[in-house]
Amino acid sequence: MTKSPFHLSRRGVLKGAGAIGAAGLVWPSMAVSQDGRVLTVRSYSDLQVLDPAFRLSAPEGDIIREIFAGLVTNVSGDAWDWELYAAEEMMQEDDQTVFFRLREGIMFTDDYGMMTADDVKFSIERVADPAMESPYAGDWASLREVEVIDELSGRIHLAEPFAPLWNSTLPTSTCSILSRRAVEELGGQIATEPVAQSGRYIMTDWVPRQRTTLVRNPDWPGEPGGFEEIHIVPIEDPSTAELGFEAGDLDHTWTAVSSIQRLRDEPPPGGVVLEKPSLAYVWLGMNQVAAPLDNPNIRRAIQHAIDRQTVVDAAYFGAAATSTGIIAPGLPGHREANLYDYDPDRARELLAQEGADNLFVTLDILNQSERLTAAQVIQANLADVGITCEIKQNDSGTFWTLGDDSSGDYWQQLQLVLSRFSMEPDPSWATVWFTPEQVGVWNWERFDNAEYAQLHAEGLVTQDPAERDRIYKRMQDLMEESGQYVFLTHEVTGVLHRDTFDPGLKPNGEPLFGEFRSA
Amino acid sequence: MLTYAAKRLGLSVVIVSVAMALLFCMIYLVPGDPASVALGPRATEAMKEALRVRMGLDQPIWVQFWNFYSDAWRGDFGVEVLSERPVIDVVFEQLPYTLALIAGGITWSVGLGIPLGCWAAVKRGSFADRLVGVLSVAVIAIPSFVVAIYALLIFAVSLRWLPAIGAGEPGDLGDQLVHLILPSLAVGLGWVGYIARMVRASMLEVLETSHIRTARAFGLPEGLITYRYALTIAILPTVTLLGVGVGQMLSSAVFAEIVFARPGIGRLVYDAILTRNFPVVTGAVLVTTVFFVLVNLIADLVIGALDPRVRSSF
Repeated sequence: MTKSPFHLSRRGVLKGAGAIGAAGLVWPSMAVSQDGRVLTVRSYSDLQVLDPAFRLSAPEGDIIREIFAGLVTNVSGDAWDWELYAAEEMMQEDDQTVFFRLREGIMFTDDYGMMTADDVKFSIERVADPAMESPYAGDWASLREVEVIDELSGRIHLAEPFAPLWNSTLPTSTCSILSRRAVEELGGQIATEPVAQSGRYIMTDWVPRQRTTLVRNPDWPGEPGGFEEIHIVPIEDPSTAELGFEAGDLDHTWTAVSSIQRLRDEPPPGGVVLEKPSLAYVWLGMNQVAAPLDNPNIRRAIQHAIDRQTVVDAAYFGAAATSTGIIAPGLPGHREANLYDYDPDRARELLAQEGADNLFVTLDILNQSERLTAAQVIQANLADVGITCEIKQNDSGTFWTLGDDSSGDYWQQLQLVLSRFSMEPDPSWATVWFTPEQVGVWNWERFDNAEYAQLHAEGLVTQDPAERDRIYKRMQDLMEESGQYVFLTHEVTGVLHRDTFDPGLKPNGEPLFGEFRSA
Repeated sequence: MLTYAAKRLGLSVVIVSVAMALLFCMIYLVPGDPASVALGPRATEAMKEALRVRMGLDQPIWVQFWNFYSDAWRGDFGVEVLSERPVIDVVFEQLPYTLALIAGGITWSVGLGIPLGCWAAVKRGSFADRLVGVLSVAVIAIPSFVVAIYALLIFAVSLRWLPAIGAGEPGDLGDQLVHLILPSLAVGLGWVGYIARMVRASMLEVLETSHIRTARAFGLPEGLITYRYALTIAILPTVTLLGVGVGQMLSSAVFAEIVFARPGIGRLVYDAILTRNFPVVTGAVLVTTVFFVLVNLIADLVIGALDPRVRSSF
């Protein structure tokens, strides 16, 4: 699949010689989407694994979704919803049973035949199988089995109701359908060689760290993809990608948050700027076992001392709003307001009450510019009430193990920590990280609340939306009441694309390449 | 000459061995758990432990050191943590891009630096000489990432003469060369200044020597004296300088690869360090170390071949 990067051909040599002589001449730059044939888009990381059960990043998921069809997929637009993809019919027969019928004639590439209900059974059950050790096994923790009725139909049987099934399990790329025969021939896992592809696009080429090429699948029985080819270019830095867009090398990219206002005020010629609300959540956490944060009144004083609006305005250049919790607007459980206000006088009062003079705390952050700015405002807020705060910057490899018990003893010294988690569109994806089970794993605040754990378990099996809304609101109340959390923002996603096409985007701005269409 | 070459080769082996030991120590001291970083938030403790075992991180440090050393000398750098592709394949996929970038940088620095240095020496004391002097210092002082950003803004974004990102269409040499112009300028511009200064100083010295005076006395044309007799001698220190310069250019390549979103060893190592993908870090760093040592070895051997005094002094 990989090409030699410096393959020589007669034509190439002649062009090279010409290029050397014409180095100073004008090199025409073009927006490749204008002919409606090829679209060049940026992803923030290169692919490492194509196996749906082991994908590592969202950009991998974007590719997997297009080349391995799932039963359903997300719909582009402003509301979280799904539509049929490989399935012709999906029906929830009861709380624990889902019927499906596949479209007829979905063919796997490489002569692996037609997609069948047995392939669906294989693909879902392999994710759930503990022996596979898929990080996504939890998505199917309630799976009992997938029953094959006939060649194209089957039923998904759950051991208990599972509310996130339709929001954050079935539409994700983890539920892409693989060919049983192909995967078994490969020894059980797919690495970076895509075999038996079945989606709207097929991956024809991967030049590591340079480009992944998707080509419209001529055998796809449904509506075809909007472009003949989509070139996905991995560019980690959003500012570089913006320059690539302005130079005409890219048709679509996410932007840096700091660029949104500039691009909104003065978009590049032929460029359209979109702002999408993110599902991610950013918060300041307090480790309740590290003195002086083991004192609830000190924690509460810190909550009152921080002017969240100023922190978010400074860090996100006015482009993002403050949050009320970990669950974003539009999802069940989103709260309308916080339980406390910015009140530095109250903070000073609480500190005086506890006799906490000349308090010193540390704040660990990831070494990114938004986090540093946010941390500096927090530092100033704390100084205003008499707390000295030292900011400790960490690279990503270090940061993501700071509160992990299995990675050393630093969790005992960890005091304040500024974190950001991303999530799928179901509230359980946010709340799962703060259960007692996660203490010392991802629950670095070591928030340990039995009622919270109980509510999390109830939320997973409760089907009534109103009841789920109540459950998740209460869980965030418990977090805030503990004094261990200062909820900051859900951030914002900036999208820059050419006006020659309409990008199909999820409500949070993530791309659905199959829905990118010429305008 | 053979003794000289053998001694230089032996020294190169020692340098690579020391570099390997330092690399192992640095990797061992870096905080953060590779398994946690690699597998992400949804991995269970059992999965992380399995990966640690697979990476050999559960072994005592001396066992890890021995495995690292013996495997590296055999050229076995293991497999990438997650994709399980052989590290050597991953590194050699990226190496040509960086080599092309450095070759481009050398082309810029030699192509501009030598003529400018010669010109300044021939026009010694003139306005042209002073101008070259000022420009040389200026380009040395500007960091390569600043050159990269401004070159990109001017030639790619504003003028749209050259592409901004990527390494060009695979298999299309012309496109790859066009994509190489700006990044290699960013890598090589500072060295234009170094080489111009070096060549000027060296030329001035050579132009005062007796054999050049003799050539002038015989009435040979000035151009022939300058470029045939003086430059061929004056250029020797530049060869040594370029040997060292390759190491500097490897560092600059990291910035150029990030700014121009090019594939290459620099970005590979940078990303691998952030994700604690240690097999890739070791493989890539060792390959570039060996490359750097080889370039310097070749530079030394060339100098030794051209100048017998160097051989005898070693």
